[in-house]
Amino acid sequence: MTNAQRIREMQARGRIRRWEYRQRNLAHGAWLRFRTALAHAERAFHVSPELYESLVASGGNVDERGAGLQPPRRIVWITSTQVLDGAHELVLRLDAAMLAAEHLALVPFARL
Amino acid sequence: MRVPGVLVIGSEVPNLLEPGAAATLVVSQDVDLAIPVASHHSVKERLAEITGLVQSDDEPSVWVPDSSRTDLIELNFLGLDPSIVDPMDSYERPDDLLPLMVFGPLSLLSPGPPLEIDGLVIPLPRASGLVVEKLISDRSGEKGDRDLLVVAGLLAHMRGQDLTHVIQLIRGLGVELRHAVRSNLTILSLLEPRASMPDPRSMRTLVAELLDQLEER
Repeated sequence: MTNAQRIREMQARGRIRRWEYRQRNLAHGAWLRFRTALAHAERAFHVSPELYESLVASGGNVDERGAGLQPPRRIVWITSTQVLDGAHELVLRLDAAMLAAEHLALVPFARL
Repeated sequence: MRVPGVLVIGSEVPNLLEPGAAATLVVSQDVDLAIPVASHHSVKERLAEITGLVQSDDEPSVWVPDSSRTDLIELNFLGLDPSIVDPMDSYERPDDLLPLMVFGPLSLLSPGPPLEIDGLVIPLPRASGLVVEKLISDRSGEKGDRDLLVVAGLLAHMRGQDLTHVIQLIRGLGVELRHAVRSNLTILSLLEPRASMPDPRSMRTLVAELLDQLEER
C-alpha cells in the first residue's frame, strides 16, 4: 500500500469515526456502552433472571448500559464477597458465552 | 539524520522501549522516521549522506536498499505537523526531492529519552504519545487488535508521570477523538491474548482506571 493510499484510508476511517460519534446515543453507541460496563468489571457472572432480581432487591446497583442491545442485557453490580449459587463465571471478552448472557452480575475492580 | 526533532517511530519503537530494548514483538521490516515539517529542509540537506539506500521509484518518500545491501531494510520518511492531529487532516507535502505524507496523529509524538545501542543514538518518542497515537489511529481487524496489544505492552512499562501525560494528551483531543480513544480502550480490555504479544488481561485494571478518568458524563 502506498502512503497516499494510507492517507485515503485514514480519511475514510475518520469519516466512519465521525458517523460513529454521531451515533453514540443511538443504537450504534449501545455496543460502546456495553463494552464500557464490561471494561469496568473485574469479574462477570451469567446469572438466572431470578437471581438477578434477587440481587437487585438486595441492593445491587442496576446498570443500564446493556439496555440498548437486543435482547437487552440486564446488568447488576455486586461486591466481590457476594456468593452467587448457580451462577456461571464468564471470561471478560465479547465471546459467544458473554453475548448469550441476558442477565449479568459484575464485580468492579477493587481500586475503582 | 541527527536533526533536532526527527524521531524514529513505527512498530519497532515499542520493542526498543521495552526494558533493555528486549524487542519481544514481531514487527514490520522497515524503519519509519518522523520529520517535523519545520525540519524538512535540514533533512533534505542530509539525504546525500545516506549510503546503501536509494529512493524508491514507486514511493519517493521511501528509501530502499540498493542491490548490493541485502543487510539493510527500508526507510520510510513521514511528515509531522504540530498544527494537526486528526487523521482526517493528514495530507501530502509535495517536494521534488523528498515528498512527505504528513499524518495528523504523529503530532502527538514528542521526543523522549534517546536510546544508545553500540554507540548509535536512536531518537525515540515518549511512550505516552505513542500510546495515544495508537489509540486514535482507529484501525480495524487483526491489525487493529495487534496495535491495541502493543498499547498494552507500552502501558505495562509506564511510570506515573507517563500515565499522567497520557491523560493530558487524551484530554487535549477533540471530542470525536476522545470518543475513539475510549472505544479502543474498551476493546483492549476485552481482547483475547495472542501468542508472542503482551497479555491484555494484565492491563485490565489500568485500562479501567484510565476509562474512569476519561469518563464524560
